Amino acid sequence: MRVIAFALALMSPPAFAQNAAQQELERGRALWDQRLSTSAIAALERATQDPATRAAALEALGRVYTFKGWQQDNIFPGWHDEPAYRERALTTLRAAIAADPSRASAQEALRTAESFAAADHVDPAPPRAEVAALDAKIDSLRSNAGAPIAEIVSAIDARFAAQADPAPYFTGAQILIDRGEYDRAIALAERGRAASDRFIDENSAAYQMPGKLQGSYSRGRATAADLIGWALFNKKDLAGAQARLEEAERLTQGQDFANQYHLGEVARAANAPDRARTHYLDALTLTAGPPPLRARATEALRALQSGNSGAGSQPFDAWLEAEVARRREARHVAALRSLVDRPLPRLPLTALDGRPFDTRSVQGKVLLLNFFASW
Amino acid sequence: MPHLKAAYAKYQNDPKVAFLLVSVDEDPKRLQRYVGEMKFPFAVARLPIEEAERTMNFDNLPATFYVDTSGIVRYQIGGFESHGDSPARIAWFIEELKTTRR
Repeated sequence: MRVIAFALALMSPPAFAQNAAQQELERGRALWDQRLSTSAIAALERATQDPATRAAALEALGRVYTFKGWQQDNIFPGWHDEPAYRERALTTLRAAIAADPSRASAQEALRTAESFAAADHVDPAPPRAEVAALDAKIDSLRSNAGAPIAEIVSAIDARFAAQADPAPYFTGAQILIDRGEYDRAIALAERGRAASDRFIDENSAAYQMPGKLQGSYSRGRATAADLIGWALFNKKDLAGAQARLEEAERLTQGQDFANQYHLGEVARAANAPDRARTHYLDALTLTAGPPPLRARATEALRALQSGNSGAGSQPFDAWLEAEVARRREARHVAALRSLVDRPLPRLPLTALDGRPFDTRSVQGKVLLLNFFASW
Repeated sequence: MPHLKAAYAKYQNDPKVAFLLVSVDEDPKRLQRYVGEMKFPFAVARLPIEEAERTMNFDNLPATFYVDTSGIVRYQIGGFESHGDSPARIAWFIEELKTTRR
């Protein structure tokens, strides 16, 4: 500590501050490239305090706000534009130009934001070219069965360094499971889980509603838990696999096809045919799931049923169809939720032209009332 | 949204059934464009999002409520359910409310 204090005393205070501001500016830009919004904005705001970096930092902030205001719809699952940032984007970019009137890049950024403000519709931003190229590299390694594991891992690390969403870790874990590298797959899935939580923390305002935010955390954690459970199953650790796969099941509320299929495989290996049958049926009751996996679940179930002496009379296909229909019906009924069985509250609706909406036209009828947003 | 339009085709001439969409959009320009593109055959109204969340007690969108003829909410669906947003499922709820009373 004394050594640092001594070094600081030797530096002239403005030079030290300038150097620190420059570092904050660069750090803020790098964090934004990774789409770690909250940290990026905090670093850039600090860099605006120093006159030497003020114009550049304001421009960078204005670009972040422009993106958040107009360009982030669905670029990650559950993300929406944040209209509250639109006016701030224009104000911040104007402040950047006021701080340095000769700054051409800020003028260009302001023209872009102004054109967005005037437009009826702004397309979401495409992925950065660097990120798209790194994703393509991972894809090519995935389809190349002879690709060295070290090369796959370094491609995943490079992609994560470029943008901090968890997708490369989850993709990587799946590739390594396919190659029989279970321990490394588990390590990648663990990192994916941490990355998912951090990425959502950093961008929580983009989700607009608590349910979407919570759903995103759950999805990331469920993906990690399912991958880890499936890797453990492949390592013949049935108890460990079961625990992780059940965690994923709770997080997805039993609504993920691959997870239900994996649970079925574990139960079958553990000689629990009834439990296996339930999971295969739960999987097939969902309409999602890639066709090859659906076919495998169907065949596993067929094998279980042929060994079931009580099932004898009915042909398998007819039995399966009836079971799936019955289960879907049960799920419809389970859709009962909080306002159920209570009178519809009075809603002060307005029509699109701003006048009060007359609800008499829907009274006394069976009403489908759907709340939505175009974002 | 296309599912709602498809489901509505079955009920557009049914005097016992109504569809009402309520937008919680903050940006009226964007909503106008969206409504123009979607060409909904049923009514669309607006409600501020805080008001909607507070009165209807939902935290995800879309939020769909099925209300019976006496004004009681009978089913509530939050978000896009992974296997549910089909015209057949929408019709299932409406038929339930048309045929049952308590």
